[in-house]
Amino acid sequence: MRSEVRFSSKRLLLTLMLCACSVILLQNYSVPAELSFTLKLCSLLLGLAVCFICFLPAVLLKKRSGGDLLSLVSRRSMLEQRAVGVFYAVYFLYASLYFLTPYCDMFCKKYYPDASPCLVAFLLLACCVYAAFKGANAITRFGIFLFVLAMLTNILMFGGSVSSLRFDSGAWAIEGGADAFARGVNYFATPCFIAAIFVCLAGEARLFKLRHPLIAVALTGLKFALVLFFITFAVGEYAQRQEYQTFVLSRVAHFGSFAGVESFYMALCTMSVFMIISLLLCCLCKSFNKSGSLPFTASFAVAAFVLHFIAASNNSVKEILTDPLLLNIFSICASVVVPLLYYFRSSFERSRHA
Amino acid sequence: MLKKIIIILSVFPLVLGGCKSSHKLETASIIENVSVHKQDGQLVYTFYILTDSDTPSAVAINADSFEEAQSLAAEKFIPDMSLSKLELLLIEKEARSEVMPRDIEYISTQASFSPIARVAVCDNAVIEKMRQVSEAQNTIKNQIVLCKKNNPDVNTDYLSVFNSFSGGRDKTVTVPYIGGNGDFKVTTIEINK
Repeated sequence: MRSEVRFSSKRLLLTLMLCACSVILLQNYSVPAELSFTLKLCSLLLGLAVCFICFLPAVLLKKRSGGDLLSLVSRRSMLEQRAVGVFYAVYFLYASLYFLTPYCDMFCKKYYPDASPCLVAFLLLACCVYAAFKGANAITRFGIFLFVLAMLTNILMFGGSVSSLRFDSGAWAIEGGADAFARGVNYFATPCFIAAIFVCLAGEARLFKLRHPLIAVALTGLKFALVLFFITFAVGEYAQRQEYQTFVLSRVAHFGSFAGVESFYMALCTMSVFMIISLLLCCLCKSFNKSGSLPFTASFAVAAFVLHFIAASNNSVKEILTDPLLLNIFSICASVVVPLLYYFRSSFERSRHA
Repeated sequence: MLKKIIIILSVFPLVLGGCKSSHKLETASIIENVSVHKQDGQLVYTFYILTDSDTPSAVAINADSFEEAQSLAAEKFIPDMSLSKLELLLIEKEARSEVMPRDIEYISTQASFSPIARVAVCDNAVIEKMRQVSEAQNTIKNQIVLCKKNNPDVNTDYLSVFNSFSGGRDKTVTVPYIGGNGDFKVTTIEINK
């Protein structure tokens, strides 16, 4: 087993912010089209508020014990450790597939139609197993490089779409039903999976401040808002005719005769999904106290591949694996319910001892 | 060290596997421009293949729609046809009413088309010139860029044409119109939605 290396909390939150941003990169008709731009922004604010709230239990645990949930659980009975480990393993496996499935689908539909989705999934998972084996410290170092690439891609994508902007006054009106608004909030709350990762990795982060998750969520919101703005006003109605609207935005971007930055977008998407799955596999191993165990990581990657293979041939399985509501319920349980249970339990035990 | 070499050697064939169905750039059939005109009452779609010769390499297909023309061209004449680098869709004035709402609708659902390809309406002399001289295609593209500079409200690319057709409060859509016998005079034309 690998000994844990502590790294800067800023670096961890930067990595988690990049993971959260990949949600909007992979969106495919996920933002309700019937909502006006103003209501989309409102649902974004509400969704990200939920996301920030999900961070609070982990912050409470971190402030009290300086560690994370899994270090608290490791002091309990073996049965309890196993039960919590199984729950987090299932959650992290589900979350990995939530990102792996749309990524492979998008890669094959939009970028390289001749490729097999299963081959893409296999290669990506193989790389993720290696990264998860190397540990969270190495993955967060990769996050710094990815941040630079994300900045460059965003500048190209948004800067190149400025010339296509067309302001429609109707987009600012408050239009759209309550159902669509609820779907919007549900979708924009999906980045709360980063809070669940933080619950498991908080112990490895040093010099933690409450403002770090706040800044991470705020920057995620800014990125989401910019993507929504450019999809609404630069791509317009055309976005509703094409799958993976952020990919379309990257194709629309152009600087004179230099047209389309989809290769940058694909690189960013690939690296973001790679980083998410690596972190999730890393947390998965940690939940069983097997950090740095290559056979253990590989066995879960095989499970993820098998599930992806089933999802590629069975549409109902695919729907379950890519359901944002299910991911949110799972994420809230993993980042709020379980940590709060342990927080109150330890408080109760302390008071009893006192 | 030995482990690393084994890993590299085992990954290498997987990477090379991607080159199995590759095509050399000079033999790939990249469609640069498409023109539509009417001949004996029937629509003719002409696909211009990217080439560096002075005379254009074009395939003309009689079809009722862009969808049919595309599948016929790929089936009978250009097996490895790629429309992802399409730069210009030129529509003859007489064919415009049949092509504009229907084909624009079809193209919007296709992932392979570039949304920033230019769209223009022209007269028959321009289509003829384009089929004879390669340089004519570049001249038309330059004229469309100039037209956009002089008249920012004109819809010169596919994205803005589609968005104007499908939304907005205006009842007409303004697109560039190229006329003249060889000198490519660019004006604008308003099309009813």
